[in-house]
Amino acid sequence: MKIGLACPYTWDVPGGVQVHVRDLAEALVALGHEVSVITPVGDDSALPPYGVDAGHAVPVPYNGSVARLLMGPVSAARVRRWLREHDFDVLHVHEPTAPSVSLLACMLADGPIVATFHTSNPRSKILTAAHGALQPSMEKVRARIAVSEAARRTLVEHLGVDAILIPNGVSIPTFERAAPLPEPVSNGSTVVFLGRIDEPRKGLDVLLAALPALMERRADARLLVAGPGDGEAVLERVEPGLRDRVHLLGLVSDADKPRVFRSGEVYCAPNTGQESFGIVLLEAMAAGVPVVASDIDAFRRVLDDGQAGRLFPVGDATALAHTLADLLADPARRGRLAERGRAVVAAYDWTVIAKRIVGVYEMVAGDRPVSLAANSA
Amino acid sequence: MTLVVVTVVIVVAIATYLTWLASRLDRLAVRVDDARTGLISQLALRVEVAGELARRCELTELGEAVERARAAQVGPAGGGPLDSDTETAENSLSRALRSPGVTATADRAPDALHAVDVAAARVALARQLHNDAVRDVRALRARRIVRVLRLSGRRPLPTYFEIDDALPMRGDTGGRNDHAGADGRDGDGRRASTTRDGPARDGIARDSGRRDGSTYDSDVSDGNMSKFTP
Repeated sequence: MKIGLACPYTWDVPGGVQVHVRDLAEALVALGHEVSVITPVGDDSALPPYGVDAGHAVPVPYNGSVARLLMGPVSAARVRRWLREHDFDVLHVHEPTAPSVSLLACMLADGPIVATFHTSNPRSKILTAAHGALQPSMEKVRARIAVSEAARRTLVEHLGVDAILIPNGVSIPTFERAAPLPEPVSNGSTVVFLGRIDEPRKGLDVLLAALPALMERRADARLLVAGPGDGEAVLERVEPGLRDRVHLLGLVSDADKPRVFRSGEVYCAPNTGQESFGIVLLEAMAAGVPVVASDIDAFRRVLDDGQAGRLFPVGDATALAHTLADLLADPARRGRLAERGRAVVAAYDWTVIAKRIVGVYEMVAGDRPVSLAANSA
Repeated sequence: MTLVVVTVVIVVAIATYLTWLASRLDRLAVRVDDARTGLISQLALRVEVAGELARRCELTELGEAVERARAAQVGPAGGGPLDSDTETAENSLSRALRSPGVTATADRAPDALHAVDVAAARVALARQLHNDAVRDVRALRARRIVRVLRLSGRRPLPTYFEIDDALPMRGDTGGRNDHAGADGRDGDGRRASTTRDGPARDGIARDSGRRDGSTYDSDVSDGNMSKFTP
């Protein structure tokens, strides 16, 4: 099939939607489909061979974080040309409610359109307010996919429509085969954190607060922290005597991310809320690292109610310290958790997920390919 | 002069708006047609594979349900409405497919049973896409301006197709320990709750029923169907 994917956020800025689109595109190519991705991009050289540049995006606050968005005549012209030059059997737009390329593509195209919704936000004023304005574009969408139960609920509540649940995928071989980072070598008591370090929702502060209590039981405990943000500011929040126990890697490349997971004994996700889906948990499980995560809905589902990873009460640093200490002290238990994790993550392999998505494509694709909408040409 | 210009501008604006509304209605009509075609072909496929299973395993009851459904599909396939006769026949086929006798064929004809389950999942998905399209059309056609100016022409108002397409659960100890679905569904309860099977439902009731968020799963690919085979 000829498949056009539209990604709303800047390709070379790390983010869940971009990773999803990239992995989906690559899984589809591997399944023998013809794929083109249109996306805003900062640096052209970051674009893969199947990528098409939609222009530079402008950063604006959206849904509690900073998103880079794009709407304008130049990008509209590029989207139009992209649609015209490819006779896509299916146009698959991601996060089409964000004012960017996906919404543009939705407005400009006609024919079999599939949309994937990633965001979960119980009270999005933007979505509610924009409902009426979005309806003409949304009614072109023939099948909606939500990546999580939370994202599906957001859709039901704000747009009054349902969606098919197909979760994010994980490229399991990449994580499974990664070698640990050369530096720092784990001392056998390393806890890994991965995420934006100055984003309170990611909960790094909970993990930092757990460090003293953890060290009471595991004197050699260390934290390996990977993710963009102001490292100095983070260290200032740690007791001076413990600062050498927090190893900051800064922003890691996509290539290094799997290696980060494999550089510690336990992966910790102390998120304090608003996670739509625990993709990072799946990645850790794919890498074979046992997971300790806060007990939020999305994580509980991914971790099979705590069977495939340990859960602790959201924001409870003491409980986290004890959970981590128990696991660090018990390699056999870590091994069992890692094994359960591998079993869980197998169903999320991108090949499996991409086939399910193709099933939806087949359902909407007809005799007519995607074309430019009559009133937009 | 100013008055003329203002009048012309207003007239042009109104005409543009109405044209745009009409083009939305046209597009939605195409979407409903395509969804209907898709649904009919998935129903036909289900009848075909169910018939094959009934024949191979000599399941009389299933065979009868298949024949009833096949007969009820002739009309829609020729352009007729997807009416309550079709719904009733498809419902009895769905029920027959969930019977213990069918589940028991897992030993004798696992591939035929698997094909039936894949087809059943596809019917559920196709029906959902169809009803989504119908809902969007009905919402737009309910607008006063569309009704008063008859912007949708002579096209009949499409109707929802409501059948019990809850998927059968096979050889599964409750789904809790089985992650083949991998879509975070909460056990089997919700699947059963999507069942809507009964007479006397008017369009409005269906519409409100649709909005309460009954969910549907997308077990359409082979990769995901392992759930149904022991």
